[in-house]
Amino acid sequence: MDFKDYYAVLGVSESASPEEIKKSYRKLARKYHPDVSKEDDAGEKFKELGEAYEVLKDPEKRAEYDQLRKYGPQADGSFQPPPGWQSESGFGGGGYTDADSRQFSDFFEQMFGGGQAGRHSAGGYRRSVRMRGEDVLSRLPLFLEEVFNGCEKQVSFTVHEADDKGRIIARKKTLKVKIPAGMREGQHLRLKGQGSPGIGGGEPGDLLIEVELAPHPLFSVEGRDIVLTVPVTPWEAALGATIMVPTVGSRVNVKVPKGTSSGRKLRLKGKGLPGKHPGDQIVVLQIAIPEQHSAEAEKLYEQLAEAEKNFDPRSKLHL
Amino acid sequence: MSDKDSILTVEVMDSDGSTYTLHEVCERGECHAEFVIKLVNYGIITPVEPSTEARQWQFDVAALARLHKARRLQRDLKMNLPGLAMSLELLDEVQEMRREVARLNHRLQQLID
Repeated sequence: MDFKDYYAVLGVSESASPEEIKKSYRKLARKYHPDVSKEDDAGEKFKELGEAYEVLKDPEKRAEYDQLRKYGPQADGSFQPPPGWQSESGFGGGGYTDADSRQFSDFFEQMFGGGQAGRHSAGGYRRSVRMRGEDVLSRLPLFLEEVFNGCEKQVSFTVHEADDKGRIIARKKTLKVKIPAGMREGQHLRLKGQGSPGIGGGEPGDLLIEVELAPHPLFSVEGRDIVLTVPVTPWEAALGATIMVPTVGSRVNVKVPKGTSSGRKLRLKGKGLPGKHPGDQIVVLQIAIPEQHSAEAEKLYEQLAEAEKNFDPRSKLHL
Repeated sequence: MSDKDSILTVEVMDSDGSTYTLHEVCERGECHAEFVIKLVNYGIITPVEPSTEARQWQFDVAALARLHKARRLQRDLKMNLPGLAMSLELLDEVQEMRREVARLNHRLQQLID
């Protein structure tokens, strides 16, 4: 078991006043709330914060914790409580506030949960109350190809359920899920009955999966449309050409119209994300020139400059 | 648990089409109908057909996910309804901007390469 330094978690000193602790907790809770933060480990940090605050905001628990802290972790960072340790402050009769205490660490359980095994008990409800299991929300990052073609993914998530003694425990669950083609970023899938089990014969909750899209090296996605920047040569742009353009998982021939400027967009109907109303692929043309020209080419450009000298691309800049 | 690591193949029940009644979202969001009605009045969540009476409301999965989010923010950060409404709107905006920045960075990278 690892020792938890609750003062470090809250970023306060050992002598911090209750007001300082509250202030720091509130600030960090806003920062690390999993619905607010974009950090990957925000959920973990938020849990740690809740646990640290649960102990340090209560003068009795804080005093006990200070004692434990003096006793300290061992050289390897592990921690053993002093022999015969038993929390006096207890978390029995309504000890927990509204923090989600099911997710507190082993350290917390051992130090402050001792002898209070029944505190999260669902046993009492078992005979009298039917409760629907909670819905579980899970985010699933997918590659564009997976979204485009549909795929089978393994999804791991945590459900809460009652064990033999009626205590609520967390259990990791893994499912293989068939993702239909054409899901968009931010869309949800619902897997009926795959969330946390119900209590007292209550219905199980659902698993809700929110789709996230991993960035693709070539394509970007805007709604149902897939956008791709395609370089063309100046002569292709000037004279028009048929060029090969990749789509997700395939390629198509595209006609570049004569006299194309950089930034011109071509719409490939129905080549975007599939679905009832499939999106389009948008090709953004971009004129590319070679890093070096041959002497012959330079001569030709000079001729071109002469032939086209009336063209002023900066006429709108009021120079 | 024997099924601890077992892997099931489940079909996705519904992607777009499925909806929940007011009663169902209350049960799933562990909240009173009054709270959901307030969220709707503040424009935090929207029923599929907003013009109907509350007892005929249907909510999609995204609205349910938003209700869960609102409940978590309210519980964890002690927010009132106007605060919740504003935070959720700002969070949406932030998320949209993060996506936009990622898209633009991506496009920029392509232009540089």
